[in-house]
Amino acid sequence: MAAAKQHIKIVKKRTKRFNRHQSDTYKCVDANWRKPKGIDNRVRRRFKGQAAMPSIGYGSNKKTRHLMPSGHKAFVVHNPRDVDLLLMHNKTFAAEISHAVSSRKRVDIVAKAKQLGVKITNAKARVTTES
Amino acid sequence: MAEHLQSNVSQDLVWEICRPNNAYLYAGFVNNKAVGIQPAEKGGVTLTTKKTKHLNRPVANKNEVSWSGQKSGPKIYKGIVNYTAKQGYRADLRQEAVARASAIRQSQKPKKEDPELKLRGSKAKKAEEKAT
Repeated sequence: MAAAKQHIKIVKKRTKRFNRHQSDTYKCVDANWRKPKGIDNRVRRRFKGQAAMPSIGYGSNKKTRHLMPSGHKAFVVHNPRDVDLLLMHNKTFAAEISHAVSSRKRVDIVAKAKQLGVKITNAKARVTTES
Repeated sequence: MAEHLQSNVSQDLVWEICRPNNAYLYAGFVNNKAVGIQPAEKGGVTLTTKKTKHLNRPVANKNEVSWSGQKSGPKIYKGIVNYTAKQGYRADLRQEAVARASAIRQSQKPKKEDPELKLRGSKAKKAEEKAT
């Protein structure tokens, strides 16, 4: 399995979720982020002590965007032929087996990836059986 | 007459048309000259190039050379370079072609079995109990 190319340190500026304003007060208000639009809204007006709103400044460095901690990017594969694509890119991309692939076909994909030195993120899923 | 007909569409035009829909930096079907490297049987490597003579006859337009898996790596790479870059045929793809041939050869070698994982903690204890 090829290790990823050298990359600069991955910095996540914020790992906490942005919760929707007042989602903690009302159960009918879901936590998924919605920008407050009201004329008097204190979160929108960024008053002291209010929840932070998402903004572009929280984005990751372009060089480390979408990188996994291993330094690879994920590439979804459905069959052994898809893994062939990663032959020359096993240092930048890791294969991720699509969720709908059966365990029988997963074995083929894992074997192929091993031949090509491609990392698989979910190699153990469905393949290992309970003893 | 038709046999000697050059393609009436330029490479650049074709590329400009398909680039918005293309995920790659190059595409072999666009260029009049292209280099393809594919695994062959028994650990060998096949080099495919396009001729510039019959642009409208895709079947006749192909040139193929194969090396068997018994040839040493450097000899194959040298062969590839001799057929392409050394003759001024897509010299820009020299490094990519050799790198791909090398990766293909690497992938054709038998790989070591993964070592069996040693069990730890409660699983190890259970396995031990079973064994005794």
